[in-house]
This record gives sequence, structure tokens and C-alpha cells, in this order.
Amino acid sequence: MNYRPTVGEILQAKGVSRRGFLKYCATTASLLALPPSMIPRIAKAIENARRPSVIWLSFQECTGCTESLTRSASPTVEGLIFDAISLDYHHTLQAAAGEQAEAARHAAMEENDGQYLVLVDGSIPMANPGYSTIAGISNVDMLMDTVKGAAAVVAIGSCAAFGGLPGADPNPTGAVSVQDLVKDKPVVNVPGCPPIPMVMTAVLTQFLTFGQIPELDKHGRPLAFFGNTIHDRCYRRPFYEQGKFAETFDDEGAKAGWCLYKLGCKGPTTYNACATVKWNQGTSFPIESGHPCLGCSEPRFWDKGGFYQPLSTGHFGSGATVAGAAVAGVALGVVAAAAGKRRQAKYTKEA
Amino acid sequence: MDLLEFARGPALQFAALVLVAGTIWRIVGIVMLAEKPDYSEPRHRGGYLAALKVIYTRAFTADPFKKATLYPKIMAYVMHIGLFATIFLFTPHIVFFEGWTGFDWPGLPNSVIFFIGVATVVSGFALIIRRMTSPVLKLISNFDDYFSWFVTMLPLITGLLIPVRAFFRYEDLMAIHILSVALLLIWLPFGKLGHTFLVFITRGTTGMVFERRGAKT
Amino acid sequence: MNSVNEIPVGVETTHGNVRPILSEILHALDKLLDENATTTIDLASLPFGPGELDALEAALGEGELVAKLDALGNSRIRETTYPGVWWIEHRNVNDEIVGRYVEVTRLPEILCSQDADIGAGRARLGEMFE
Repeated sequence: MNYRPTVGEILQAKGVSRRGFLKYCATTASLLALPPSMIPRIAKAIENARRPSVIWLSFQECTGCTESLTRSASPTVEGLIFDAISLDYHHTLQAAAGEQAEAARHAAMEENDGQYLVLVDGSIPMANPGYSTIAGISNVDMLMDTVKGAAAVVAIGSCAAFGGLPGADPNPTGAVSVQDLVKDKPVVNVPGCPPIPMVMTAVLTQFLTFGQIPELDKHGRPLAFFGNTIHDRCYRRPFYEQGKFAETFDDEGAKAGWCLYKLGCKGPTTYNACATVKWNQGTSFPIESGHPCLGCSEPRFWDKGGFYQPLSTGHFGSGATVAGAAVAGVALGVVAAAAGKRRQAKYTKEA
Repeated sequence: MDLLEFARGPALQFAALVLVAGTIWRIVGIVMLAEKPDYSEPRHRGGYLAALKVIYTRAFTADPFKKATLYPKIMAYVMHIGLFATIFLFTPHIVFFEGWTGFDWPGLPNSVIFFIGVATVVSGFALIIRRMTSPVLKLISNFDDYFSWFVTMLPLITGLLIPVRAFFRYEDLMAIHILSVALLLIWLPFGKLGHTFLVFITRGTTGMVFERRGAKT
Repeated sequence: MNSVNEIPVGVETTHGNVRPILSEILHALDKLLDENATTTIDLASLPFGPGELDALEAALGEGELVAKLDALGNSRIRETTYPGVWWIEHRNVNDEIVGRYVEVTRLPEILCSQDADIGAGRARLGEMFE
């Protein structure tokens, strides 16, 4: 059994000073949305945490989640987290390939039995397992095999969490989500297309620091980042309340930064941290840049009406059914009138 | 399919079909009834002008009854105008109608609509209390009266709960609100709520008949 | 146009976040004077509308003392025009902001030499005499 150093030892070995470590803990607290008063506790927890093993499985995905998470080539604080965790297997990032890579995966699973984290991005095709394979192993087989000894499974991105784009109508590959298949291990969903990098890192950091998964909502998403809707934290909310809406993308309202509800914003029904945490180190988020929210962290967001259909648009079905209802109404009316007339005639005759 | 998708989709579609079928059924059924022959000599020719006149004059109480009915009249006007404003002058609703008819019109600010909505609920409760306590009204009120009041109030109250975010999450409140609207649309053609489309036909008919007989219109 | 920040923003609304934070800082200064207690405010936890963070920074201003820390990237620890109120900005090796705090204290903890580092440095110096 390999000796697994603590994170504190790893950072020290890398020549990180105590000051640097304190800086790291402060930013970790910020990341986990914890108050600064928690920093000493976080410092202690991280110092003594063992380096957990992480196996990353990529299935039917576009690699956007990996891109979002591992944005830059040089180490960042997020990157340090990956140094702190032992990323034993990752299709996109690893140097090994083929049998060597699969051997590494099995070795990591055996050595860390019961303690490793499985991260999954991409959906799993069930219509025909052959649609997506790695080293000749189907996605579903690899997933079920790998989670056997896992401590927890994190489904990264909307594809892994809810089926995502492959799972959208008509779902030709029979794509399903991780939680559809994994029933006996804790599953944390971190949806988004892609998820905000900081949110992904925070979930991993939570596990690293406290050895537990965060509190989850009914869709299995960490409440800390998916507890509020975009609408409830949107800086354009005052415009919504005042009834000031942009009607097109280039009208005066749009230029003045008015609410994008009429342009199809799904903010009211979307739970995510975009409005507060934002993207690209807090630069902006879609609404701030003038585009309505797509609702990408919600299940089946691709099939929930159009991106540019306002939320309160009705879905009316076809004109044919309505016409049919009208005809039915006329028919019933005629029948009712005929019955009424006959009754009238009867009474008039009796009188 | 979650509750909200069901409410927005199949539930509302079904309600719309029932509304269309039921409304046309009632109108056709009434209009096609035989006219009772009137053998008396007409005082005036009657006609559609009289119909329009009575539709207008019935909006105002006749002199002898003005004082007695002032309170319920004010409450009823508040309720009807309030319903009109909250349904047709609230921007998310306007967007709904735009998807259906293609027409767009300006709305009122959300806070104003909320205030009107609260006033409408208050007037609604004032009226139902009056109905339940006035000896005459209590005697003549039936299930239709109370149920029609209920299906009208429910969308209003559930709609007001949404900005307040009371009891449930936004999506669930929205689903309940839309389902209550579906219930309203399904009941509307069949009970006394049918006055929505019938009132102008009935008032107009009364006007024509009265004018023909020379009664005051 | 070289950076996103140079794109003119046409939004006039503010969240009104600046004044309450200044009030919080005022109370923190009282605590510092009365109880010698340190207060740290994590600015990442507050929702700022566009331009509000800059407004807060401008309101606090720049004081006499600036310290540059080079550990896992640059950090800038600066006393504002209000002594005891420090503006701390942490950046990573890519010069991206990873943390922003306002700390109300006599001296931010991170500026003090840390025991572990002193110990390691002493060991290194000791080698010179072996």
C-alpha cells in the first residue's frame, strides 16, 4: 500500500510557505462560501487530510466540463487542488493510453478501495452500449465497475447529471444520467453546460477538506451553489419589477440593460450561482453580457420550449385540435338546442 | 415531465379545449332555442341599438336601489377591474397572450399589479362574506355561486403567492397557479361564470325585448 | 479596447451595497478600538452590480502602507485611507484574482512572519555554521 501524504506535507514539499498556505486556505474558504472565521479550521483540516484518489470518467461529452475546470496550462489555486488530489485517471489529461491507462485505473481502485472519488462527465448511452466505448469497454460497464469501491460519485455537467444534450429529444443513443444508473453510492450532481469552474472545484475541495459531500437539493445539487435561482440574485431584477423589458436584442431597453424576460430568460426557474459567482473569475455572466439565461443547470433544459420563448408562453397544441373542439361545441350546442326546442314545443302544446 | 411542464402543457391545453367547446356549446344552445312568439303590437321597433343601450345602462344602478346597493357595487367593481388589471396588464401574462394572439400591449409595474391583486382579493372576500351573511343571498345561493367564487379566487391568491415565495419553491407555486387557471377555464363555460361571455347577449336581449314593449331601458 | 473593463456599461442601477459595507467597517473599527477584535469581510460573498466594487475601493482609498506578498502568486495588502482598514487582494500565478477581503485589524495576520516559516528559515541558516 503506497503511503499517501497529507496535503500539508505535499504543499510543504512543493516549497509552499506558511503564508502561501494561509492564502490557499483563505481562498478555499471563499470558494466554499464559508465565513473567514472558518479559515483556521480549514487550515487544520487541509493540513491533515490525506490525498484522496480521484478517477475521472469521460463518456458522451463534449469535453467542455474538463475545459472549464482545467482552464489554464499553468497551476492556479484550482490547479493546486488537482495537485493535492491524486488524479489517477483522466482520459483527456492523462499521458497514458490503452491498456496502461486501464491498468492504472484498476490499480487506483484497488489501492484506495472504499475511499476514492469517481468524477463523471458525459451521459451514458443505453440504446446500444457500442455507441460509446473506451478501450473496448462500454460506458455503462466502465461506470458500474468503477463505482463499486467508490466513496462517492460526482456527476459533472448537465450531461452526467441529467442526460444533457445527448439525452435531448429524440435521444437517439438512449442517453441516461449517472443517477439513473448508480443507486447504491452517494451521487453529487454539479450541472451546468458547463458548470462554473469554481463550483466544480468547491465540491472537490469540500470533499478534500471535510471528507464529506455537501448538503444537496432535490436534484442532488450542492445547496451552497444551487440554492437560489438566477432571478432571485440577478442585478437586473429591479427592471423586472418595474416592468422594463428589452423587446429585441438591439433596442433601447437592451442597451440600457433592462430585464431579458421577454427574450426568453429562464432565470426564474434556474438554480445556479451564475448571478453571484459569475464566470471567468467574476467577470460577467450571460445576462450581464446581454443574453437571456438558457437554464443550463436544470434537467432537460434543451427540451423546455425554445431558448428565446419567454417562460410564460403557453404551449397550445395544434390549431387542428382547437378547431375540433369548436366543432364539438357546435355539435353539442345544436343537440342541446334541439332538445330544448322539443321540450318547449311539448309545453306549448300542453298549454 | 414535472408538475410545471404538465401544468403549462397538457393541463392548459385540455382546459383550453374544454373552454372552447363549452363556450360554443352554451352560446349555440341558447341562440338556437326557439323564440317565443310575441303577438303583441310592438311599441318601438327594438333592434340592436336598444341592445347596446341596455348593455351600457345596466352598468349603473337604477335610482331607487342606488343607496342600498352602493357597498356591494363598489366591491364588485373593484373585483372586476382588479381581475382585468391583474390578468391583462401584468407583463408575464401579456407575454402569454402575445404568444397566442400575436398582440402586445404595455403593462403596469409589478408592484402596482401586486397592490391591485391584494385589493381584488380583499373585495372578493368582502363579497363572499356578504353572500354568506345576508339572509336573502344566503337563501338563494347554491353550489354554483360558491364554487365559481372559489375557482376565481384561487388563481388570484396563488398568483400573489409567487412573488412572495410563500410555502413552496417558485416552480411549484407556478405549477399550482397554472393548474388553478386550468380549473377556472374548465368551469367557466358551465356555471354562473359563463356570464363572462353571456352577459352581453342576455343584456342585449333584455334591451331589445324591453324596447319593443316600450319599457324603460 | 484592451480589456473587458473598458467596454462602456450602460446600466445605471446599483445594488446599494457600498454604504452598508462602509457601515459594517465603521462598526468593525469600534470593535477594534474597544475589544482589540479583528474583523474580516470576504468581498466575494457580496453581490456587486457593475462598478460597485470599484466604487467601494475608491471610497476606501489608498493609505500610507502597501505590502507585496509573493507566495503562490502575488498578493497586495494595502492600508486604506482609514488606518486599521486593510484591502487585501490575492492573485494566483496567472495574476487572476482569487480572493478579495477587507480586514479591520492592527496588522493582517498574513503579514506577520509565521512560526513554521521561521523554523524552516532558522534551519537553513543553521546549515551555514555546520
